[in-house]
Amino acid sequence: MSTRRRRADGGVAYLDVQGTLRERTVDALRDRTLRGNLDTAATSWGESRDAMREGYGLDDMRERAREIRRSNIRNLPALLAEMQANVREAGGTVVRAADGAEACRYITGLARARGVKVVAKSKSMATEEIKLNEALQDAGIEVVETDLGEWILQLANEHPSHIIAPAVHLNREQVAALFREEAGTDEVPDDREGLVAHARVRLREKFAEAGIGVSGVNLGVASTGTVCVVENEGNARLVTSQPRIHVAVMGMERVVADWDEAAHILQVLPMAAIGQDAANYVNLITGPRREGESDGPEEFHLVIIDGGRGALRGTEFEEALSCIRCGACLYSCPMWRSVGGQAYGSPYSGPIGAVITPLLEGPSSPASRDLPFMSSLCGACGEACPVGIPLQDLLVRARARSSSPATRASGLAFRAWSRLWRRPGTYRAWMAGWRLMLRARGKDGWATDLPGPGAGWTQVRDMPTKWPPRR
Amino acid sequence: MAPAQVSTAAVGDPLVDLLLESLTRRKATGQVVQPGDAGRAAARWMADAGVARAVLAGDPLVDRIGLADALRREGIDVLTWPTGLGKRESMGLEGPIDVCGVTVPARAVAERGTVVLEASAGHGRGLDVTSRHHVALLPADRIVRTLGEALALTYADGRAAPSAVSLVSGPSRSSDIEKISTLGAHGALTEHVVIIR
Ligand code: SF4
Repeated sequence: MSTRRRRADGGVAYLDVQGTLRERTVDALRDRTLRGNLDTAATSWGESRDAMREGYGLDDMRERAREIRRSNIRNLPALLAEMQANVREAGGTVVRAADGAEACRYITGLARARGVKVVAKSKSMATEEIKLNEALQDAGIEVVETDLGEWILQLANEHPSHIIAPAVHLNREQVAALFREEAGTDEVPDDREGLVAHARVRLREKFAEAGIGVSGVNLGVASTGTVCVVENEGNARLVTSQPRIHVAVMGMERVVADWDEAAHILQVLPMAAIGQDAANYVNLITGPRREGESDGPEEFHLVIIDGGRGALRGTEFEEALSCIRCGACLYSCPMWRSVGGQAYGSPYSGPIGAVITPLLEGPSSPASRDLPFMSSLCGACGEACPVGIPLQDLLVRARARSSSPATRASGLAFRAWSRLWRRPGTYRAWMAGWRLMLRARGKDGWATDLPGPGAGWTQVRDMPTKWPPRR
Repeated sequence: MAPAQVSTAAVGDPLVDLLLESLTRRKATGQVVQPGDAGRAAARWMADAGVARAVLAGDPLVDRIGLADALRREGIDVLTWPTGLGKRESMGLEGPIDVCGVTVPARAVAERGTVVLEASAGHGRGLDVTSRHHVALLPADRIVRTLGEALALTYADGRAAPSAVSLVSGPSRSSDIEKISTLGAHGALTEHVVIIR
């Protein structure tokens, strides 16, 4: 994969992705290692998730979760105003950014103004969306991803392939090779424990150097102005407590009203995401360190990003804003399980990525307009979603909205076809012609390379020349 | 070195028993002691785990159970928060490796095996996570059943929200390599809860 580049137009999809969606999909399908790694991951996820459904009533929690998130989105402007006022009251700074470029400008400006050379980050989809790493690097600032999976990808110069488990497509040998290269020595163990211990020490060095810690936000709680950062490794706590400045980057839809709502969502999230009844660490941060406290950041900045989200309120896609980024729809999706996240070319992959990437980018963006077609519409995603987003319906609506020369041409073709088939005369003529053509092109009862509209069919399967077909 | 086995036998108090069960599930350990034995028991656990230095929360409970003396008797170096150590040493990059952060949770969630740590002048945000081991000293009357109850108390109306609250449910782990859970990613490798009853 080439080096990561920033998009000038503030789009969400990666600019460095190569080839068309179809080409990337075919490449991924041919990659056997990838298939094996994805299989291992999806199977283990499925097992632990089933345990949550049976033992913890995850399914029963969905209705309440859905209600909470829908009401949050309905009341978004008021909740954001309350959140903002409470963060300020606690001594923090709040910045509302209309798009990614504005957010990046603010954060790089802050780093420059404070003379910061190293920024330590914990995993955050929002910063991946706004391409913050690239912006900071362009400004000459070193960025270190400290989540183990994200760090591995940073070393591999790759994008994350999953919301929760970013490096899920790499195996242990691949990771060991990357660590050896980074450390410049062969003295890196290749068992899992050894690799984790190695990374722990290398990254502590970075924590000790970093002037700014950047985290994402899983939930903002409006009633107290608190940001919740959920994690398992402990790096987000280090990011939010060790550097002198903490910058939290939050998508504007991530706010809930109060602690009653937060408690529900904070329980649903790890169950759906990793099949566990709790995350190891949930960091709840209300402003910077207070007087008398001897650790914690001296400055706290909350950057709230719109990036096209606000415009989705009140549309047929509003429910996509309920998403809590748990990743369950990815693992449940037969497409994602076959090709992984990289093929999507966007930080948001899987069913939710196929819906929101084109929504945030606009319907004719060449980078993402085909994504809604990356689905068999089997509905597994909607069933997996812990906040009850009808993803399969949103995918259908997103397809209708997608606009490319190909979708426009196929729209015209289907309209013409329907006109032909609605009249008995033209229908019969069509069928007679079709039979002739099948007979001419077919061999041993099967046609394998049809021209015109039939080409799409015979590219992946044969068509019988007679019914019932010959075995 | 692996910490010695401590008894996690049920004590007949439903919340305590539920917490012990959840801690086991979260790959943490717990034990129930009487107030008079708490200091000695905590020190014993740390000695068995090979702890060289303990960093204690500046909390009256720590003094009450005589933990510092008990630790010194075990030959363990004792510091109290705030430690005044330099950045590198407080992050475990210099000085002894086997450091144990000793916290005093404001609450615990029995259902999930979660301890609730509130930051304050005597209780640093990094206390548990920068150390290799974590011991939490928990009075049994601070245990509630659900996360909702715990958060309602932490963020009760009329009480100033703490600057930082950490919900800790077991030792640090990562599943980023081959989706298999591995302990001790960034935070503590072991977590032990001493329930004082
Ligand atoms: S759409 Fe639903 S299942 Fe998918 S990431 Fe969002 S909340 Fe999870």
